[in-house]
Amino acid sequence: MSKILRSPAEIIESRSDPDEGYKHFSRGLTGILMTLVLVPLIILSILMHHQYKQLLQSKELDQLILNLELAQSTIEKFVAELQSVIKFVAPHNQYQQFLDPRELEALFVRLKGEYPGFADIEIIDSLGMQKSYYGPYQLEGHNYTDQTWYKEVILHGAYISTIFSGFRDVNHFVIAVRVENPEQKSDWVLRVTIDEKTLQNFVDTTSTSYSYADDIYLIDSFGIAQTEPRKYGTIGEECLLCNIQGTANKSLAKAIADRDTKGMEIVEKAFKGQQVLHATAELANTPWRLVLVKEQYLFAHAWVLFKIKLITIFLCCTIVAVIVILQISSAITSHIRESDNKQKKILAEIQHTNKLASIGRLAAGVAHEINNPLAIINQKAGLVQDFIEISGGCEHQKSMEDALDGIQNSVERCKTVTHRLLGFARHTEVKTDEIDINVLVREVIDFLAQEASYNQIRIDFDLDQNISTIFSDRGQLQQVFLNITNNAIDAIGKNGHITMSSRQVDQETIQIGITDNGPGIPPEVKQRIFDPFFTTKETGKGTGLGLSISYGLVKKLGGNINVISEVDKGTQFEITLPVTQPQQDLETNERHETVNN
Amino acid sequence: MKDTKLLIIDDEVEFAATLRQRLELRGIDATDVHSGGEGLQTLAEIGPDIVILDLKMPDMAGLDVLAEIKKHNPAIEVIMLTGHGSTASGIEAMEKGAFDYVMKPVDLNILLEKIYSADEKRSKE
Repeated sequence: MSKILRSPAEIIESRSDPDEGYKHFSRGLTGILMTLVLVPLIILSILMHHQYKQLLQSKELDQLILNLELAQSTIEKFVAELQSVIKFVAPHNQYQQFLDPRELEALFVRLKGEYPGFADIEIIDSLGMQKSYYGPYQLEGHNYTDQTWYKEVILHGAYISTIFSGFRDVNHFVIAVRVENPEQKSDWVLRVTIDEKTLQNFVDTTSTSYSYADDIYLIDSFGIAQTEPRKYGTIGEECLLCNIQGTANKSLAKAIADRDTKGMEIVEKAFKGQQVLHATAELANTPWRLVLVKEQYLFAHAWVLFKIKLITIFLCCTIVAVIVILQISSAITSHIRESDNKQKKILAEIQHTNKLASIGRLAAGVAHEINNPLAIINQKAGLVQDFIEISGGCEHQKSMEDALDGIQNSVERCKTVTHRLLGFARHTEVKTDEIDINVLVREVIDFLAQEASYNQIRIDFDLDQNISTIFSDRGQLQQVFLNITNNAIDAIGKNGHITMSSRQVDQETIQIGITDNGPGIPPEVKQRIFDPFFTTKETGKGTGLGLSISYGLVKKLGGNINVISEVDKGTQFEITLPVTQPQQDLETNERHETVNN
Repeated sequence: MKDTKLLIIDDEVEFAATLRQRLELRGIDATDVHSGGEGLQTLAEIGPDIVILDLKMPDMAGLDVLAEIKKHNPAIEVIMLTGHGSTASGIEAMEKGAFDYVMKPVDLNILLEKIYSADEKRSKE
C-alpha cells in the first residue's frame, strides 16, 4: 500500500513545500478511493446494460418468432381454404355440366359471392385443352398441354402459381386443381384465376393482427415481392432486403440457436443505416415465403428509458461518491496534518527539554569546577588585602586595593553566573501549596515596586477576583513572575507601564498575563528567548538563563508560557497553569530527586 | 576563640592553605589538610573543636567524613563548604549533624560569623 500511496511525511521529504506534500497525498488518496468505488460501479453498470440488452433481445426474438409462426399459419390456412373451396365446388361427375357456359357462370357467380377477388374460371380436359371459360377476358380455346403448371397439376393434383400479369395484364395468381373422373377414366382440371388483391388484402389483414412487425409481405423463391411491401420494395420486383447479407451478431445467433426455428430464417440486416430483423418462413404448399421485418427493437422506449435511468443512477452515484470521497480525503489529510503538527510540536518540546537538560548538566559540571578556582582567587585576593592592611600601607596601596576590589567584584559576578547555572540544572522538589495567585502576584510586584518607581514605570493590576486558588509551588512561581517582570522592567527602561492580569480559562486552568508597553521582541529574537544563555542585555547584565529557567519551571509545574509581541508596541507573556498539580509530574519530580541524591 | 582549634579539610590545596592563612591572621588556630582520610587522621592528632569540611572530595565524600567526625566526637562542630550553588546539599548536611554550611566562593566575613557562632555554641555546651 505504501508503494501505491506514499505517506505525507515521505512526500514532504522529497519536496520543499509541506502543503504541496499534503495536497499530493490528498490527491493520491482521492484517486485510490475513486478507483475503488468507480471501477465496480462502472463494471456493474456495463453488466446491467449488457444483461438488460440480452433480455430485451431475447424477448424481442420470442415475439418475432411467435408472430412469424402465427402469420405463417394464418396465411397457409387461407391458401388451403381457397384450394379446398375450389376442390369442393368441382365434383368429378359435373365435368359435362361445367362445359355448359351457363353452368360455369353460375358456379363462378357463387364463388365470387364468397371471394370477390376471383377473376375468371376455366375447365381444361385431360389433354390440356381449355373446354370452357368464364370471365371478363377473351381467353377461350387455349392449349395448356406443354405448360409447366399444367404438368404440375396433373402430377401433384394441385397447383398455385406465383403472382404474374400474363394475358390479363393484371397481377393475379392461379389455383388449379385436378379433378379425378373415375367414370370416364380421364381427369380434368379446374383453374381459377384470383386477383392479387385478394392475397394482398389478406396479408394486410394479417399484418394488422400481428402489428409487432413493421413490414409483412410475401416473396417467391427468387425474392420477387408477391404482395406490396410497405417499405421494402414493390410488388413484382425484387424486394430490397433480399440481396442484403445478414450482419454477424453472436448474441442473436446464440439466441436463435437456443430456439426452435425450424423452417425459419432470422437474420439481422442493415438497411439505410438502421439495423432490422429480417425473418422469413416457408408457406407450405405454396410458392411463397413469408417475410416479417422488424425495424427497431420492440422495447425501444423501454430500452431508451432504461439507458436514461442507468446513466442517471450512474451519474448520481458518481457525483455522490466523488463528493463523499473528496470529503473523506480532505478529512483524513486534515487529521494527518493535525497529528503531524502535534507530533512536531511534541518533538520540538522534547528536543528543547533535552537541550535544556544537556546544557544544564554541562553547565552544572562547568560551574562546579569553576567554583573551586573562583574560591581560590577569592581567598588569594582576600589574603593580599589582609597583608596590605597588616603592612600598614605602601606606595601603590590605593591602586592595589582598587585592583583587588576589581578581582573580588569579578569573582562575585562569576559566582552569580555559576550559582544560576547550578540552579538551572537542579531538579528541586516541587512543594505543593494552595496558592491565591492574585496574592502571589502582588507579593512579587512588592519586590520590584521600588525599582519600577525609580524608572517611572507604573504597574497596574487587572486581576480576576473570582479566580480559583491553585495547587502549585509557591517559590518557583515567584521566581518565574520575578524573572519575567524583571525582564519587562529592563525592556521598558524608563517611562512605561506593566499590567499584571489573571483570569480563569476553564475549570482546570488559569492564566496570568504580564504585559508591557516596551519595545517588543523582533520575531528572530522571539524564537530564541527560551534558549539558555540567550540574552539581548549588555554583557555582564544578564546571564541569559532567566527565561530559560522560567520556561523549565512552568513546564515542570504542568503549565505553559506563550509570548505575544509586536515591535514598538509591547510584549505579553501568558503563563497558563493547571489548577491542580498533575500527579504524574509530582511522581516524576520525586523520582528525579531520588536519583539526584 | 584563643583556645579553639580549627581544622580545614578540602582537596583544593591552595584554597585550604590560603583560608588557613587568613584565619590565622585573625588569630584563629587553624590547620589545613587535603583529603578526607588525612582529615580523619589529623582529627585524632590535634583534637579540633571546629571543622570546615568540603562536601566533595576525591577519596571520601564530605557527608561520610562528617559521619566519621560525629562518630569520633559528636561535640566537634562542622561547617560544610558546598560548591553546588544550592542550599539543598547544605541543608542535607545539617540534617546529618553539620552546624551550618557556606557556599563557595566563600565570603570570609560570612564564614567568620558562622565560626564564631559554632564556637559560641560549643562553649555553652
